[in-house]
Amino acid sequence: MKHKTTILFLLPWILILLVFWLFPILYSLILSFTKYSILSGEIKWIGLSNYLELFEDPDFWTALKNTSFFVVGTIPFTTFFALILAILINQKIPLKGLFRAGFFIPSITSMVVVALIFTNLYARDGYINFLFQLIGFPTPEKGWLLSEKTALLSIMAMDIWMSTGFYMLLFLAALQAIPEELYKVSDVFGASFWQKLWHVTLPHLRPMTLFVVLINTIKSFQIFVEIFVMTKGGPLNSTLTMVYLVYEQGFHKFRMGYASACAYVLFFIILVFSLIQLKLFRVGKAVGE
Amino acid sequence: MRLQRIIIFAILLIVLAGMLFPVYWMVKTSFSTQAGLVIQPKDLIPSGLTIKNYLDLWQWGPFPRYFLNSLLVAGLVTFCNMIFCLMVGYAFARREFLFKNLLFLSVIFVIMIPAHIIIVPLFLIIKWLGWYDTYLALIVPWMVTPLGVFLMRQYIQSLPRDLEDAARIDGAGDFKILFSIVMPLCRPALAVLGIQVFLTTWNTFLFPFILTSSQKMRTLPVALALYQGYQTIDWPHLLAASSVAALPVIIMFLFFQRQIIAGLTAGAIKK
Repeated sequence: MKHKTTILFLLPWILILLVFWLFPILYSLILSFTKYSILSGEIKWIGLSNYLELFEDPDFWTALKNTSFFVVGTIPFTTFFALILAILINQKIPLKGLFRAGFFIPSITSMVVVALIFTNLYARDGYINFLFQLIGFPTPEKGWLLSEKTALLSIMAMDIWMSTGFYMLLFLAALQAIPEELYKVSDVFGASFWQKLWHVTLPHLRPMTLFVVLINTIKSFQIFVEIFVMTKGGPLNSTLTMVYLVYEQGFHKFRMGYASACAYVLFFIILVFSLIQLKLFRVGKAVGE
Repeated sequence: MRLQRIIIFAILLIVLAGMLFPVYWMVKTSFSTQAGLVIQPKDLIPSGLTIKNYLDLWQWGPFPRYFLNSLLVAGLVTFCNMIFCLMVGYAFARREFLFKNLLFLSVIFVIMIPAHIIIVPLFLIIKWLGWYDTYLALIVPWMVTPLGVFLMRQYIQSLPRDLEDAARIDGAGDFKILFSIVMPLCRPALAVLGIQVFLTTWNTFLFPFILTSSQKMRTLPVALALYQGYQTIDWPHLLAASSVAALPVIIMFLFFQRQIIAGLTAGAIKK
């Protein structure tokens, strides 16, 4: 059966895909080999110069270091907390719905709003310092976001707080997909809570865990909004991240080519990380889990 | 066993308090009577409440405009997605065509691609199109989201074809079949899609920020993020504005929990 309308139905996606996704992706690859100043409109092919300059730019290495630190320092905690909370909520306890909804609320709040709230909490006279002083812990002199040593860590803590609920829901969905019979059989054999957790629950959660880590990796490498709202990359570049560098180069210094090169390097890093994780995932499948 | 459950319950309660505290702090401060003070009181239960900060916001020139911008943009993007994702998803679910697999792969590709890669080129394209700092820039690129297409395709695939076939025998045209037979059947999926797109668009900051410049084009998140640039921060007013941005979403979530959770986990579970 032939339908003339098929192409008409598909058209919205084809147009959006070509104009706002495929073309920009290719265009920014080309831009990354040029020197393009938006102010003069001049565009000049300079080959690999942007990339070479980037690799000698100390800001680039700082941004790469901070971004990697952010990714490596948040994802294990987020995944771990999300997993634990999902397992706890999945037990027979009252007020399940309340916990699930409550834990999820941070994730549906706008990043900008969350960043503002935490800017307030992290301030020198903010609530967190108030609590710390109450129990006699040392506090950074200028406030958490204004000290080089604590700014990035503070943003990381906020990010873990914010995204745990979302990944918890994914784990919860995976938990509920585990066939009930497996637990019943385990009960017949007198398995303890921990044995069931180790031999039934965790193996079944493996695909979801890898999925969670994968999407969180892609997302976390692109950290920008919280940096823009809270620190603008400071103090002393201690929270400068890759996407913030792209923004700064592109929209403050108007170096579109250089910014594109930076974006492409990050893109490549994310791609490599994703492929490695997918590969691990496939290996797990081949082993027969 | 009982003891174990009590311990779990207690742990969850403590975590819940930690999760909700920042949001509570925002709302509490937004009703503070001490808007002028530099150092805000730390009491958990405020001694006095006032809605004056909110009233000030509505009287402060640009704020209603920010709110309406957010509402308009999120509303239109949602509407377009419901229509277009239905169309595209239907084609993927029911039709055979050249390069079908490749085109569907493009949907997955765009879901997974890190969006930072298009910041610079999208800005340039929008400038060329003459859409910079207009509503078009905030709406058109997001009219069809790949996750929406994916969601609708999955849902339509699970529907029986009988009704469509019967309608075709009765002589109904393709558009009539889509919009008067398939669309009503898709109501649950459209609800999930609509709520999901609305929330994402309402909350989004990066692209509205990059693609506009004038104050009158700002959406709420953009306005909030840029307000912070000034020297001293008037927290009660700023957090009142933040509450206006956050509370509708939270209230919506409490009403449509099932759909929102379905929408957010859809991509993950269906694979």
